[in-house]
Amino acid sequence: MRPLLASVRWFVRACFVVVLVMLGTTVLVRSAPGYLSDAREMDQHYAHAARDELAVVAAQSRSPLAMLRQELSSWFKGEGGESRQYGIPVIELIGPRLSVTGKLLCESLGLSWLGAIGAALLSSSVRRPRFLWQIPSTLLLAIPTAAMATLCLMMGFGGPVAVMVLCLAARDFKFLHAILRKSWLEPYVLHARGQGISTARILLTHVLPATGPQLGALASLSIVTALSALVPVEVIFNVPGLGQLAWNAALNRDLPVLLAATMIMAAAVVLAGATKFESEHWRRA
Amino acid sequence: MNLQKQPFLFVFVAVFALWPSVGQGQNAPRLPGELAWTIAYDPKTFDPAKVDDEASERVRYLTAGVLLRFNRATQRVEPSLAESSALSEDGKVLTIRLHSGLRFSDGSALTAKDAAWSIRRVLLPETKAAVAEEFLDAANVTVQTPDDRTIIVHLPKRVIGIEKIFDEIAIEPAERSSEARVTSGPFFLSDYRRSQYVRLKRNPYYRDTGKGLPRATGVRLDILENYEQIVRLLVRSDYDLIDNLPPDYFEMLKRKAPATVRDIGPSLNTEQMWFNQSPTSPISDWEKAWFRNRAFRVAISQAIHRDDLARIAYLGHATPAFSFISPANTTWFNRNLRLPARGLEQAKASLHEGGFYLEGSTLKDAQGHPVRFSILTNAGNEARGKMATLIQQDLAALGIQVTVVTLDFPALIERLMHTQDYEACLLGLANVDPDPNTMMNLWLSSSPEHQWNPSEKSPATPWEAEIDRAMTTQASSMKMAERVAAVDRVQQIVAEQQPFIYLVYPNALVAISPYLQGAQPAALVPRVSWNVEQLSVRGLR
Amino acid sequence: MRQSLSLVLLLALIISAGAVLFRPGSSYVHQDRDALFAQASPVHPAGTDGMGRDRLVRVSAALLLSLAGATIASALSTAAAAAVGILSASSPGVIGSLTLLVCDAFLALPWMFLLMMVRSAIPLTTSPLASAVITFLVLAALGWPACARAVYRGTRQLRHSDWMLYAAASGLKSNQIVRALAPNLLPLLLPQFLVSLPAFIIAEANLGALGLGIAEPLPSWGGMLAELGNSATLLETRWVYLPVALLVLVLLLLEAITAEAQR
Repeated sequence: MRPLLASVRWFVRACFVVVLVMLGTTVLVRSAPGYLSDAREMDQHYAHAARDELAVVAAQSRSPLAMLRQELSSWFKGEGGESRQYGIPVIELIGPRLSVTGKLLCESLGLSWLGAIGAALLSSSVRRPRFLWQIPSTLLLAIPTAAMATLCLMMGFGGPVAVMVLCLAARDFKFLHAILRKSWLEPYVLHARGQGISTARILLTHVLPATGPQLGALASLSIVTALSALVPVEVIFNVPGLGQLAWNAALNRDLPVLLAATMIMAAAVVLAGATKFESEHWRRA
Repeated sequence: MNLQKQPFLFVFVAVFALWPSVGQGQNAPRLPGELAWTIAYDPKTFDPAKVDDEASERVRYLTAGVLLRFNRATQRVEPSLAESSALSEDGKVLTIRLHSGLRFSDGSALTAKDAAWSIRRVLLPETKAAVAEEFLDAANVTVQTPDDRTIIVHLPKRVIGIEKIFDEIAIEPAERSSEARVTSGPFFLSDYRRSQYVRLKRNPYYRDTGKGLPRATGVRLDILENYEQIVRLLVRSDYDLIDNLPPDYFEMLKRKAPATVRDIGPSLNTEQMWFNQSPTSPISDWEKAWFRNRAFRVAISQAIHRDDLARIAYLGHATPAFSFISPANTTWFNRNLRLPARGLEQAKASLHEGGFYLEGSTLKDAQGHPVRFSILTNAGNEARGKMATLIQQDLAALGIQVTVVTLDFPALIERLMHTQDYEACLLGLANVDPDPNTMMNLWLSSSPEHQWNPSEKSPATPWEAEIDRAMTTQASSMKMAERVAAVDRVQQIVAEQQPFIYLVYPNALVAISPYLQGAQPAALVPRVSWNVEQLSVRGLR
Repeated sequence: MRQSLSLVLLLALIISAGAVLFRPGSSYVHQDRDALFAQASPVHPAGTDGMGRDRLVRVSAALLLSLAGATIASALSTAAAAAVGILSASSPGVIGSLTLLVCDAFLALPWMFLLMMVRSAIPLTTSPLASAVITFLVLAALGWPACARAVYRGTRQLRHSDWMLYAAASGLKSNQIVRALAPNLLPLLLPQFLVSLPAFIIAEANLGALGLGIAEPLPSWGGMLAELGNSATLLETRWVYLPVALLVLVLLLLEAITAEAQR
């Protein structure tokens, strides 16, 4: 009964977040400059056609609430509204891209966590932590995503997954190193080491269980970072995913597509917040 | 402490073993004999009558069969599906005779009936075709087909360059508009993956198929905007051409593969700066006074080092500009333009004439307001950003403080076209047609595209009234000499009044793969693919 | 020992940058238009950039400006995350849930449109320095929710730990409990600060496309880092790597300085 209630509460909360995000997005996009402008207005050949289209859009966007009502009703019809850029139902746009982005996200997160945890376990467990461990992650944090992408292209090695993994692993490593280092220096862990208990056993029995909740918090932070890093990576590498779609929609003020993208982002953020590594699961002493 | 590294080493090995190298971009593999290059974004439509953006226009150019084609190299209109065309003396009756034995890509016959249907469809208000506006009075245009191969178009008003307009009217099967899937051009649309590519296949019934045209079996247009990728893929021969290279990538490619790059010379495009002269704009009154002061505008123009703009912002691949007509436009360029003398001292003299004075290192107007303004430009254009920074320094020498603001296009357009909330703007104009008649909307004071002061109810100044008269003359005159004289006069007025301060004519920079045969790049867009039916790839693995 | 050495090195770097910038005759705006992408010389020790401006002076100015801005912005956003996380975790459950709700919504909203509105609200002739300050403040205001979530979760976990229950039972007041919590959250907050710093420097350059950021002629460290994304520029000169090398050095020094606190 209690798990069911908790699930229902979580679901209601998630819906609330999504509706809040939809309202916020509509207000932000409608109020930002450029919603009723089109670059084709400067082109004499197409200015007339562009102005006619904008008049139609203006008529449909008198108030953010009316716009939101229209979008919600089209979502209930199962279309998700019509894209301003492409003129097709948003559902048709989103569908194929969800799997592309999902795959990119899962691969990047999995590999970056593996890399970051492996590196952090090594760097935090040595007696005198060498400062050299910090250099690769610091270097990666100092290089913008676009530069990393260009370097990958120049070397002919690596792609969107590589760049995502490098960006995420560098960030995660910093946190993981700090968390694990603190845990290794706990008095009872030092005592256990002094007693001669093996590193692996200390790790599995003391360090990881104690840091479990913090690792869970870090995982959700990592997922949120990954969601933000998706956009530049997909745009630069021309991956036909949700990030690229959202970016083009933002540049073209395509509200229906932006709403869909932010709804998915909200759902993903809420899901990310649900990651937990409870210490009970780890206690296998 | 005995550090057991084995488990951790295993983790590292696992990471590297699983390291996937996801392919860059979504290039479909090239089919044999297929050409490949890129377009910047998804075409909004494949219906040739409804084209209203650049990417759609590219696809239309490659797929549409047209009665008359504007040859980008010779800059003359020549028959295409038509065998011949004749315009009456008064310019109101155009008679076109089709070739015989024409067919669409599905094998069905192409007759005058199809041509007439296509023309009428373009003129219908419901179609909302951008090209209909060029007929001036589209509703009253009539099309007759006395026989299977003759089309007679009756125009209520004479239209300058009417034949060129037919370059944009695709002939489709009557009553069966198919969004480029059934065409009379060299290629037809065979596949489209959103955000990935557009694939075209050779039209087996193309009118010149007897001559082996088109030479390529198809064209793949990848949807890609990132020049890092495009250049790399051209070097790898995944792409055959780049229609428009930024100057820094041109230089980089010149070092890597010098044989691939070509600087064709000045294009028809211009880069210019202008001040907001709209009386209803929300800027302060003293700023409005500066910008409407001829001496101020001329001084700014005199102080700008255009040679530096061409050399530094465009790495030498641009020509200093003083007029809206590029020297590449040999018919209309005014070689005898009288320009104000340029230089810092001349600029200072002009400012003095305009009532400005220097206090310390700050320029002030007669009322004591320090002269400072912003230059707006669009984000993402590196050359324009550099030009703005160079101009900022040039004007600092006059004691003027300039801030450079880059905005994304929609926000920029809103300020320029709707709110007029800007001081100065630096943008470019892409001219696809050498005939200045296509620029009417830019120069007529009543037009919304009259950038420095849109939609004037009546000309705000005598010189704007004179420009209106001259442009109307060139639009209605039957004599070429009269038209040229009128446009020369407009160029002279612009040089004297500087409503637009022209900066440079960027050169047309293209790249061509060594495997591409038949390329004869031209300055007019589409620069390399204008003769697509002659292009082929040879020697590719 | 390492901490004091790092602090001295960082101060020396900052002072050197200041010395280069404020040396008589040096200018970050002067364009030597005949010496574009020049190699190192006595006049230009690190060569010049694409507009003939002295690279060393510009990098020094960029270092001082962006370091100050990004440090303050990172500190503010980390402090905000800590405050929101700790306070909401220490309050009744409803407030905590509401805070998480707001954080989640905050993370999903497309803030670039707000940034465009900020740009519309400030005059076009806003000085580059003022625009830079506004940019870093905006980044600080938008950068806290992700970490606030993590701080909230960490605080909740600490609140239910044995020693905290013991402390509460012993009669510690709320503010004393909060003060006891803070050091235990340092493994989360200090890396957040150190990770935000380069992120804000890079983000400032991206905001240039929306009209914010550090405008010309002020040098932007983020803009110099962004040059690494253009392979054409990378071929011109090796000195284009100077900004990223300096940033790595600064970050390592900061890491060393804060390492003691993390222990």
